[in-house]
Amino acid sequence: MTVIEINHLKKSYNPDKLAVNDVSLSIEEGESLGLVGESGCGKSTLARCLLGVERVDGGSITFNEKPLANANRKDLRDYRRNVQTVFQNPTASLNPKLKIKDSLLDPYLQFQNELQLEHFHFTSKQAFVEQLLEIVELPKELGDRYPHELSGGQKQRVTIARAISIEPKLIVLDEPTASLDVLSQGAILELLATLQKSLGMSYLFISHDLAAVYQLCQRIAVMKDGELLDMFQKEDIYNSRRHEYTKELIGIF
Amino acid sequence: MSVMALSQKKIKKTKIWLISGLLLVLLALVAYTFLYLKHDATMTDVGNRLASPSWEHPMGTDHLGRDVLTRLLLGFRLTVGYSMIALAAAVIIGVPFGLLAGLRGGWLDRVFMRIADGFLAFPDTVIAIVLSGLLGPGIGNLLFAIVLVKWVNYARMVRSTVLTEVQKDYITIARINGLSTFTIMRKHLLPHIIGNVLVLASLDFGKIILLISSLSYIGLGAQPPTPEWGAMLNESRPYFQGNPEMMVYPGLAIVAVVLVANVLGDYLRDKFDVKKEVQP
Amino acid sequence: MILSIKDLTVSHGEKTIVDKVSLTIDKGEWFALVGQSGSGKTMLSQAIGQLLGPNLSASGSVNYQGANILVRPKTEMNELRGKAISYIFQDYHGSFTPFLTIQQHMDEYLQTHGVKEKQKRNSMIIEALESVGLDDSFVKRYPFQLSGGQLQRASIALALLLEPDILIADEATTALDSVSAHRILSLLQELQQKTGCAILFITHDWRHVVRYADKIAVMKDGKVIETGTKQKLVHQPEHAYTKQLIQAAPTLPMRVREVSKS
Repeated sequence: MTVIEINHLKKSYNPDKLAVNDVSLSIEEGESLGLVGESGCGKSTLARCLLGVERVDGGSITFNEKPLANANRKDLRDYRRNVQTVFQNPTASLNPKLKIKDSLLDPYLQFQNELQLEHFHFTSKQAFVEQLLEIVELPKELGDRYPHELSGGQKQRVTIARAISIEPKLIVLDEPTASLDVLSQGAILELLATLQKSLGMSYLFISHDLAAVYQLCQRIAVMKDGELLDMFQKEDIYNSRRHEYTKELIGIF
Repeated sequence: MSVMALSQKKIKKTKIWLISGLLLVLLALVAYTFLYLKHDATMTDVGNRLASPSWEHPMGTDHLGRDVLTRLLLGFRLTVGYSMIALAAAVIIGVPFGLLAGLRGGWLDRVFMRIADGFLAFPDTVIAIVLSGLLGPGIGNLLFAIVLVKWVNYARMVRSTVLTEVQKDYITIARINGLSTFTIMRKHLLPHIIGNVLVLASLDFGKIILLISSLSYIGLGAQPPTPEWGAMLNESRPYFQGNPEMMVYPGLAIVAVVLVANVLGDYLRDKFDVKKEVQP
Repeated sequence: MILSIKDLTVSHGEKTIVDKVSLTIDKGEWFALVGQSGSGKTMLSQAIGQLLGPNLSASGSVNYQGANILVRPKTEMNELRGKAISYIFQDYHGSFTPFLTIQQHMDEYLQTHGVKEKQKRNSMIIEALESVGLDDSFVKRYPFQLSGGQLQRASIALALLLEPDILIADEATTALDSVSAHRILSLLQELQQKTGCAILFITHDWRHVVRYADKIAVMKDGKVIETGTKQKLVHQPEHAYTKQLIQAAPTLPMRVREVSKS
């Protein structure tokens, strides 16, 4: 089943240039789609449109067969509950003045009345926090710490735990490993793969690192200058029909 | 590094001792006003004017034979009480306004910024004098003038904090989750603001006391026979040469309270800096 | 041998950040120093050019042309930097003053190093920018008018202006996305072959090492734990940490084939 469908999406910040130019793609349930491109190619703008942070200038986003453009309040809330995100910079993604557990519970408290969690069972919020920390392989005492007491990799694990806490259908991962050191990068990629296996959500993994995308995703899309140039199954990466730009990217890694 | 840390620790300890000591003295004095107040602050006894200290009048009497200690203690309640009222009003008006201006932006923010620029163009004291001059002397008008001057500072500070924080990803994520503006303010922004507001308030507290006292001193605030410290200073002016202690007591009282407020401000600033411990 | 480092130790008060590191860099080779953040690799590179901050002290020796440059007086060292040793850094924005054009930067650099004739300076600048793929329209531009990749190119042009014997690139590609990073790296390689300068390349990403380096040293907690030729370290890493670093970096399956071929 298709979780999300983007059709002919357009977005521009200045009149002469489209940041996202007529991009169409869809993500299936339980699938991870990688979106690769250089900085400034429009991949993050696409993510921001998808997350509702930016208004789209054309085209449509369809979630659960309902177009977002004419969604009512309830549909929109449903959408937000099912689409979570992890950003590049874990330090900026956590409120420095809140304890880890308070940041972790943010989405849960927002949606707790309409949630029916499949994978988490708990009797107290404290127990929930501990389960979440455990699933991202962090010691459960970290709940009472402040973000500045954690390393970059640990903080990114916390933001991942927050994203999965309400069992969304899709997580948009915008360069989640780019600001981490090399050992944490590998560990985070592994964690993401494990979580997908056990929880079954879809990923839209946005990165400039084709090799990282290759490691995590089943399908890969390539963007340049706002346009979607190429889209293929992971196995077809060396297929001769690949776009020239894709071949150039492959050459780098 | 260890020497530095040690001396810093020492300073911190001294600070805490200083605050607790001064607070204790002040509290003891306030308690005294409730328990042992023997004299009426406004009861004149011209036969016994400008008396030297005695058991009956530990700080002597003033030019109308009123007990100075009694007036000083009641003055503490008045001066500190008025400052607190003015401060609370400034914070209560300023903080929500700053939050809204920062978070909503648009015309609200533009109007606010112009008002703030206007107020900031003149020193607080000048505006307060003009306002209470226009409205007429009296403590009520004076407080109104002070609140009008001070709320802008809070609103401005809160606004600038909000403006830097809203750009950060955690606020974006909260918005993606559909948290309401109110929840974002309460849960995510207030913790950033509360420390700053307390620090600014404790520093302002001293300034407001000085403002009330100085405006009362020039006759724009509390009117005689109210035992406000500034007013007391004003009244003791003609007797300065013969009986300087009449001026010294309220003067010292003002210094003590302002000092406590400032030290408290410093302490709060350290206290609310969550990150301080880990920085080298 | 162009540079030989012996028992170099950098310390901050009681704390040792770089612990008795010895390395030799040969003429014209690409020497990669790999390690995580906090391993001391940046401090090591800064000690070479006497660029350490005021609270840091270095001991041991750094031998260049038969003399220990660690004890050179400051003024002589300023001469040496640029002509013999030059740097490019991760923070390309910080490397440029925002209100000077690219030309003004390079012109000042040449002037301080004693190139007197204006004509000569100008032609050197245009030539240098051309060599990094920036045409003469960039000459008059201000730093903010360039993208990250272009700025890093400009800083390479600046660093190579006086044809130094060794270029120290400290995480020069870390702030760039992998496509721009790759372009910068192949540019560096090309320029290295043309000018014959040695490169001390500091990075945390193993993948940058595999393709370009001749020799690799792995650094951890201030110590060099393993050093050798690329062939040796890629195929027979001895230290567990080296293996961990190799494994952590995601790779495409083709890359493995490529390396085993070479």
